Amino acid sequence: MTRLVEITVSHAVLARACAGDEQAQGAIYAAVAPATLTLIRRFVGQRAVSEDLFQDTMMSFYQRLPQFRGEAPLGAWLRQIAISRCLMYLRSPWKRLCLSLDLADLRLGAAGTALVTQDYRGESIDLERALATLAPTARAVVWMYEVEGYTHQEIARAFGRSVSFSKSQLARAHLRLRAWFEPQGNRPSCTLI
Amino acid sequence: MHPDLDQQRSLARRLRELPDEAAQPYGWREFQRRSGARRRAGQGLAGGRALATASVLALGIIAVWTRLDGWSPQSARLTREALPPLAGRTAAMEHWLASLPSEPAVVHVGTRAAVTGLEDRIAQVDDLLSAERLDEAHPARLLALQQARTRLVGALVQVRYAETLADESR
Repeated sequence: MTRLVEITVSHAVLARACAGDEQAQGAIYAAVAPATLTLIRRFVGQRAVSEDLFQDTMMSFYQRLPQFRGEAPLGAWLRQIAISRCLMYLRSPWKRLCLSLDLADLRLGAAGTALVTQDYRGESIDLERALATLAPTARAVVWMYEVEGYTHQEIARAFGRSVSFSKSQLARAHLRLRAWFEPQGNRPSCTLI
Repeated sequence: MHPDLDQQRSLARRLRELPDEAAQPYGWREFQRRSGARRRAGQGLAGGRALATASVLALGIIAVWTRLDGWSPQSARLTREALPPLAGRTAAMEHWLASLPSEPAVVHVGTRAAVTGLEDRIAQVDDLLSAERLDEAHPARLLALQQARTRLVGALVQVRYAETLADESR
């Protein structure tokens, strides 16, 4: 999987994009868009919502691009914008209401939000399904900590919660995810943490 | 190495190795087109949050009614398996609605009319569902009716939710 923070853009292209060159901006878009959408999809699950947040993120990115100072890699800067948008979405009251209805669906056995595609092999499918059983907040914490390399302090700050919130979310999510890799008989049923 | 630490590293590695999202995002031209559309929409809605809420609600309700009126048994291509989750979703929404006060503190005339209209439509669909069940109707028809009911209840949830937001913001 291509991580957003690993994507680099040449200084020349970046300078032209900051100056408003559309061709350079298009080149940056081609480089970062797939990883950005993948990251957002990991956080929010649903494709339609992900595309909305992706559009918001990229618009914000281009609006703020002239202010980019290059103190962090461009991908890390964009990742910050994307995660911030996702967390705003997950925290919104309307989203919380919809989420409770979606969870009701999941408890009733409807399809979850797994991103299983034709590129997947056995273990990935298991892990993807296990991720889909986590509550969105827990999934976001797991992804930020395990894949994006955030610390508990940074996660707590992003969520506006305490460090112990981040640690407990992660610990409970680990228990659930690990259970999927134990022998079949020990697997949990599809309940939510 | 401690088994827990080993497992944790293994999990992190597995997560990082998950494939990318299969469906690629739209291209640069499409992004520019959507950005332009959003900016225009944003300018158009500068008249105020109330106007925006009313527009969204009105569009949602019109969409729901249009869909319901455009329904036909031939267009229903879903199966009997989809019925229980759909009914469960509607039940969850109704549960939330039931938790609200029956008469919100702030009721706008337009909203009130929409609520009454939606409740009437839900009652009509309920009648239809009962009749169809008695006649042992085709599962596809039942499913289509249940879908229509879910959309109507969803629209009602949106209207009532907007009311609660307006009430809280006073």
